[in-house]
Amino acid sequence: MNLLVILQDLLWSGIAAIGFAVLFNVPPKTLIPCFICGASGHAFRTILMELGMSITVGTLAGASMVGLLGAYFARRYETPSLVFAICGAIPMVPGAFAFRAMLGVIRISQATPAAGEPILMEAAINFINTGLILAAIALGIAMPTLLFRRRKPVV
Amino acid sequence: MTQETVSEKPPLDRDSLRDVIDLSLWAGQMLLQHGADTDRVEHTVHLIGTSLGAEWLDILVSPNALVVTTISGDEFRTKVRRVVTLGVNLAVVCAINDLSYRISWGEVDRAAARVELVSISNLLHNYNRWVVILMVGLACAALSRLFGGDWAVFLVTLVASGSAMFVRQEMVRRHFNPFIIVVVTAFVAGAVASSASIFRLSPQPQIALAAAVLLLVPGVHLINSFQDMIRGHMVTGLVRGFTGAVISMCIALGLLLAMQLLNVGGL
Repeated sequence: MNLLVILQDLLWSGIAAIGFAVLFNVPPKTLIPCFICGASGHAFRTILMELGMSITVGTLAGASMVGLLGAYFARRYETPSLVFAICGAIPMVPGAFAFRAMLGVIRISQATPAAGEPILMEAAINFINTGLILAAIALGIAMPTLLFRRRKPVV
Repeated sequence: MTQETVSEKPPLDRDSLRDVIDLSLWAGQMLLQHGADTDRVEHTVHLIGTSLGAEWLDILVSPNALVVTTISGDEFRTKVRRVVTLGVNLAVVCAINDLSYRISWGEVDRAAARVELVSISNLLHNYNRWVVILMVGLACAALSRLFGGDWAVFLVTLVASGSAMFVRQEMVRRHFNPFIIVVVTAFVAGAVASSASIFRLSPQPQIALAAAVLLLVPGVHLINSFQDMIRGHMVTGLVRGFTGAVISMCIALGLLLAMQLLNVGGL
């Protein structure tokens, strides 16, 4: 895999991260770290997937990277880590999977029982992938708190 | 929670306790409205309440309401507040987080906290609406490149999601139902993105369709849903996940409508 592909991946996922950061109205000083979180997390996932890992495991690793970077930036910029974690994870959110699953559900309504089986399977596969990738993202970005800030629940 | 230990905090009278519960509930409400996860809401409300003089706070975060009980000495007060989820606004979450720490360090007292909460609730948007449209368009176009689209798809996606964002802003300003906004916005995005297919601008026009609606994907709902569930807040997690699923369904509906009206296939 060549360097150019990785650089493009970094650039586009970083732009996606700050685009959504602007939509979510983050403080302007956090835009650059959001770019770094989004770019490195997604590019890391792409590299791992090129090496043969599944998208779920790749997402878990990428999101953990976003989480760790977010924890670092949270301290440096005195901003809650959730800002970096959410904006950084956005490029990895399985949006296409999610609405393909829903599109499949809508299509099932028009199918006959005999011909509907592949549509049902496709919808199910997309749905399961959406769930797994989201769980991987949530687990990944929560990784620093789950590992290093274990505490007795106060509430 | 039994209060066996002798507290060092002086007991508050009923009026001060009302003030404490009011302020902490208000902060919690704004957090829940603007996209914080349940754990953060609980911790922040607890921190603000105990730092302002209450001995203990018990908090129940429900998907559309907050219940808080404050305890001080022999007094306790309980208050329920209904919370309507608005759009994600991380500037508010940052400001409240910052305020909660300053309260816990003793830098801000009750009167000053009230002034700050008023100014946070009037917090303006950091970015001009045209900047938002451009950046959201660029974000979706960037995602279309990640899906393997060419430059024609990039441009079509940029225009499609930018115009969809414009429609979304106009509809939000007119207080339409959030799910209707998603259907209409997805329809606009799909209709504009269909041009890649109609005018044969690219060998893979379906990528423009898939990428143009990504501005609507309920990323924060879905991420928060799983975050809540990991930390044991099953009810809020399930509700957020279901909200995300309904929004995805609305996206698919709007997109399908546009594709069928313009007779565009694929995806």
